[in-house]
Amino acid sequence: MGYLNNSVITVDAILTKKGRELLAKNDGSFRITQFALADDEIDYTLYNPTHPSGSAYYGEAIENMPLLEAFPDEQQMMKYKLVTLPRGTAKLPVLDLGYASINMKQGAQLAITPQTLNYLGAQQTFESSGYSATVGDVRLFSQFQGQGINTTAAATANATATQTIGTNISATVTGTQINLTATTVNTLFGSQTQLRTTLTVIGLDSGARLTIPVTITQNRLT
Amino acid sequence: MGFKRFDPEDFVVSADTVTSTVWSGFQPSLNSYFTSSVQKEGTSGPYYLNVFQTGSGVQGSEIQFAIAFGDETGRGSVDFDTAVPGVSPSRTIYGQYRTLVLEDENADFPFGINFTGSYFYALNVERARYKEKLFPGSMNLVISSSNPQINSITLTDNSNEVTLPEYFGTMRAYQVISGSDGTAWNGNGYSFSGSYGLFLPDISTILLNGAALDDSSTPGTSGLNDGCGIGLGTVLTSNTNGDNNSKLFRHISASSGNTNGKIFELNSQETITSDFVFVRTRNSEFNYSENPSFISGSTGEVIFNYFINNPQTFPTCVGMYNDANELLAAAKLSRPISKDFTKEALIRVKLDF
Repeated sequence: MGYLNNSVITVDAILTKKGRELLAKNDGSFRITQFALADDEIDYTLYNPTHPSGSAYYGEAIENMPLLEAFPDEQQMMKYKLVTLPRGTAKLPVLDLGYASINMKQGAQLAITPQTLNYLGAQQTFESSGYSATVGDVRLFSQFQGQGINTTAAATANATATQTIGTNISATVTGTQINLTATTVNTLFGSQTQLRTTLTVIGLDSGARLTIPVTITQNRLT
Repeated sequence: MGFKRFDPEDFVVSADTVTSTVWSGFQPSLNSYFTSSVQKEGTSGPYYLNVFQTGSGVQGSEIQFAIAFGDETGRGSVDFDTAVPGVSPSRTIYGQYRTLVLEDENADFPFGINFTGSYFYALNVERARYKEKLFPGSMNLVISSSNPQINSITLTDNSNEVTLPEYFGTMRAYQVISGSDGTAWNGNGYSFSGSYGLFLPDISTILLNGAALDDSSTPGTSGLNDGCGIGLGTVLTSNTNGDNNSKLFRHISASSGNTNGKIFELNSQETITSDFVFVRTRNSEFNYSENPSFISGSTGEVIFNYFINNPQTFPTCVGMYNDANELLAAAKLSRPISKDFTKEALIRVKLDF
């Protein structure tokens, strides 16, 4: 008879850039209330359900891989979340934003209404908890709002959406519709004619995630 | 669902104490001593003497501690103004520490039992060498002697001799005694002139009793108080530059240390407050992934048919969020763990502040 492994895995956490920002604000927004798991770095094509040595070896190539240390940039962490779905799920929820990429001119407005495919037996649905949208560089938008969700958490998130005095920081809003207005500030462009960032949308019920590139083009003075 | 809320019992706050040596390069003992002639001859020179671990002009040289001499009546240093006798850098230093430590401008420094000192040497550890405070019981300072009766004296604090420290206001104080590792060689380890000083861990300062160091008598003639001094020869003449800081420096730098050659051992102490967060995942949770390699194509089908009824995931990171779904902290596992409908995981995440 052998001993069962009853050890607890202990890991050290680091604060993200966003965590440090909210800690510095000291307004109560740094309050951990929920968690998620992610499998960043995992390549499931390495999983081998036909391994000749049997099922204990299917994940052999993945389980022994070394992992990188955590990054403080919240945009580079927790990219691929694990989700809880009923056993027997053959299709995973997928987000549809209606855009593969966003191209806007200075001052232009855009409303995005995400939908989720393959969720809860529906081919296409709106998630009742809404969607969280994170823009990598909030400076690129004069307006970045979420609307359509009336929970306290969503209202708080939208009301305290990050303001910046020029630093490149991310911002997250919650809603069923995300409203964007491209910045009119010319100095951000410098000698460039375009600015780029990313928009990451996550279904709060399904965990489905989609990141698309965003490009803002300067209105040239003639 | 990608997020799971924590329960109140998932959070535990813990405070742990860590200790470390104070000297540069994590050296347990400071065995080489240098000063800077620029600093000594500068405006700060009359007040204190910075001590370096290498030549002050050498790359990597860092201040380790400073020596300052304080006298109640301003002796041993030149008056600021000859029209105002007795007001000199040594009196400034004395008043500075009297206010800081005793919090009473009329009080005297109590070195041991029934002895108050009118002059002292302050060893002030450079702020960059420690994070919070000094660690009682870690001090071992071997000072060479001009007293022909002894070659050197080893000083420590008396933290192992007492159950509680003395308190000056909210500040802890231990007596500096003859001994090592917080324990006296003999008796209470005091000198003929009270204790050898005060060890003040909360302000990272050691005050050495000048009268005890100046003593040149024969050891072992006075019962419990059988410790003699090193014949330091403090200059106590008014309106005179006695260069007392350098006197003590020379006695420390000339020391050959203990039997292992260690001259000045000292550790610091820091209390680190950690949040422990317990991440609990049940067997039915987190068994599918939004990882692009978990699905095939853009329609969301799982990559292997085997995964339909036996999904297998390999979590590598834990993210902690606020109500606004903002990622506040993240932890990476050292290697992926296997998760499926037959397994649960308990991960303890440590968050230091």
